[in-house]
Amino acid sequence: MNPAAQTRSHKAQKVIERLHKKLNRQMALSLAGCVHCGLCTNSCHYVLANPGDPTYAPAYKADQIRKIFKRHIDWTGRVFPWWVKAKSIFTDEELEELKDIAFGKCTNCRRCTINCPMGVDFATVNRMTRGLLVSVGIMPEGVAVVSKDQWEIGNQMGVLKEEYLDTLQWMDEELQEELGLSHSLIPIDKKGARIMYTINPREVKYDPRTIADAAKIFTLAGEDWTMPSEGWDMTNFGLFSGDDDLGGTVAKRVYDKAEELGVQKVVISECGHGYRSTRCEGPNWAGKDIGFEMESSVLTMLRYIREGKIRVDKSRNNVPVTFHDSCNNARSCGLYEEPRELLQLVCTEFREMYPNRAENYCCTGGGGAMSMSEYTPRRLKSAKIKADQLRATGAKIVVTSCHNCVDGLTDLIRHYNLGIEVKQLVNLVASALVVPEKIEVVAPRPVHSLKGFRILIVDDEPDTRTYLSTILEDAEATTLQAADGLKGIEQARKEKPDLITLDLSMPGLDGGDVFVRLREDPETAAIPICIVTGRPELRRLIYDKPHRPPEGYLDKPVSEETFLKNVRKILELGRKEPKSA
Amino acid sequence: MQESALLHFASHRLQEVSLIFMAVVYSVRLYWLMRFKAARDRQPRTGRLDTGPLKGAAYSLANIAMPWAMESTRTNLFYWVQFALFHIGVTAAITLSFLIPYAPQTLESPVVVWIFQIFIGAAFLVGCYRLGRRILNPYMRAISTPDDYFSLALLTVWFFFAGLAAPNDPSSGEGPLLAFFFLTAFFLIYVPFSKISHYLYYPFMRFYLGRSLGHRGVYPIRRSVMPNRG
Repeated sequence: MNPAAQTRSHKAQKVIERLHKKLNRQMALSLAGCVHCGLCTNSCHYVLANPGDPTYAPAYKADQIRKIFKRHIDWTGRVFPWWVKAKSIFTDEELEELKDIAFGKCTNCRRCTINCPMGVDFATVNRMTRGLLVSVGIMPEGVAVVSKDQWEIGNQMGVLKEEYLDTLQWMDEELQEELGLSHSLIPIDKKGARIMYTINPREVKYDPRTIADAAKIFTLAGEDWTMPSEGWDMTNFGLFSGDDDLGGTVAKRVYDKAEELGVQKVVISECGHGYRSTRCEGPNWAGKDIGFEMESSVLTMLRYIREGKIRVDKSRNNVPVTFHDSCNNARSCGLYEEPRELLQLVCTEFREMYPNRAENYCCTGGGGAMSMSEYTPRRLKSAKIKADQLRATGAKIVVTSCHNCVDGLTDLIRHYNLGIEVKQLVNLVASALVVPEKIEVVAPRPVHSLKGFRILIVDDEPDTRTYLSTILEDAEATTLQAADGLKGIEQARKEKPDLITLDLSMPGLDGGDVFVRLREDPETAAIPICIVTGRPELRRLIYDKPHRPPEGYLDKPVSEETFLKNVRKILELGRKEPKSA
Repeated sequence: MQESALLHFASHRLQEVSLIFMAVVYSVRLYWLMRFKAARDRQPRTGRLDTGPLKGAAYSLANIAMPWAMESTRTNLFYWVQFALFHIGVTAAITLSFLIPYAPQTLESPVVVWIFQIFIGAAFLVGCYRLGRRILNPYMRAISTPDDYFSLALLTVWFFFAGLAAPNDPSSGEGPLLAFFFLTAFFLIYVPFSKISHYLYYPFMRFYLGRSLGHRGVYPIRRSVMPNRG
């Protein structure tokens, strides 16, 4: 039938119009480039669990949106639609059918993507399809409810601020009792903290112990950390619903709070889609370049153990353990070796499941599936693949770094009577922790205070020395001054300051030579150096030298704000405490 | 024996015009593709430090030559061998379409002709098998379009005549040569509008996916090894 002759519903018309706008080059390629070779078919757990039903095949599912693309955007389909099975969409019923496929027959796990010889990224196409449907109000009810909560309340489980803060206080009190301490161990909104810890609202609602476990780890590691009172939800339903606006808004809440608190790093608790959304996709959705670091708590915990900040006794986790890779962590963010390394450190018997890492099967609860109850029977049927995988390991505990996976695995373990417990790495690390007799907690320090730090200013210009020393002394630092390179070296040896600011262009011994001598002298080699120069082109004097580069490099004129920010960053990056403290 | 005027036209002028047509259509196709804005990845790198966007893109582009890289080919080597033979056959037949008119002396050696015939013959057999698979396998049927069937059938028939044309001996009858060149011309004109144009997209698709997954530490894939459970 001629498309023009058939009446199209308002929603169908909008979907077609928005498809044109939403397509980028990568998506257009994924829609145009499929050769229907069928190699993706057996990579999908839905196909494997439903033999004989081709409607679960990734290529078939992709074709349901591809046919619209071909009919309206690609070439041949516009002229000879029947030849390439191009087909427009006209009714709301057809949109409902598309919804059934996009939400109910795919968890966006991306396993077919890495098994496609052409590189068709079906998961991304499916997410776009979801977004188109959501934009006209067609979605599973659960998706609508969760999205609304995240838009309106700020987190996807509708946790109110009071409820969140009460839970933190409750966990704080429990932890104080456990560790025998009598002051708060979960700092809230601490400005200038090194780390801001963000969590999944599921932890507040159903699993507050993971918050306490994380707090215990941060405390014992002597970390300078905080939890935010707002922007604490690192999960993001925009990833599942395909709504980039929601995705950007939610991610920005976290970024804005981190900037407001002035933290150096956002640590994301164990959540696959949260990690992907906040760390990877969020900056794209929000259209924002991020000026601070973000990392998974898995990396943070691993670093604490490697650096000896916490000690663990693996014999406390002495039952066979296997690890389930979250699709978002492993297949979309490359986070799969660190969890294994951590597991080897905190448990006695780790058993690899097969396949694993980026080739692992989905827990079947991904892509927001846990919030779409209408598809539960279908989800649990497809979970047979995962159940077989788990059973084959003989493990008593399955560990995963994802809250969705925790729920998905728990559900299928119950359904298939596997008798396996589901845990997260934070739980295992916390139970393996060796608590020292004396616990040192980082005392809060005013954000801009440099009290106790001694800083040597080496510059031949008196005005510059005065300017820099005034800024530093206003921030409560103690300053020392040297008007040339030789005096600077002499003072550095004698006074052992916490930091040296060094001009490059000076009469006599220039800054490059001073830098080399300071680095080569064992007595001064460890002192951080911040170059402050009016001639940035002289950087070769420094960077051509075979020494550790300076910790900072600033061009004159330098503003008070920039100078202080860099000084603080250097002093805290070195994790220095004032020598006088 | 001299070739007929019709064969000379089919192997020279017709091919040249068809090639120019294909080049023009492909240029327009690429222009069309480039009008879609490429998505940008703002995130700092994640995952392993021994990889990155360039390594990921290179791995992705070479992926198809590494049957061990993807589970779908690793566990289905028969399919991969078919794929390899089929595409070697395509390359051989295309090469033949240039050698016959422009470097016929290359085909004077029977060994060279046999090599062409072996590869093109293997591709023909794969084409027949694939056609059967596409028709008989319900999963393949569900995703196949008339263009899929026609393109595969067209290539298979083309292989058949390419194999017969390889000796380049008009004195034994010009039929196979004429069929081969007319089919080649049709093929050149039809390709930009069919699924066969996938090779135009391939480098772009693999590049973008590889760049992104390399940046995120996923590519090269660290393959699963079946644990020994004793």
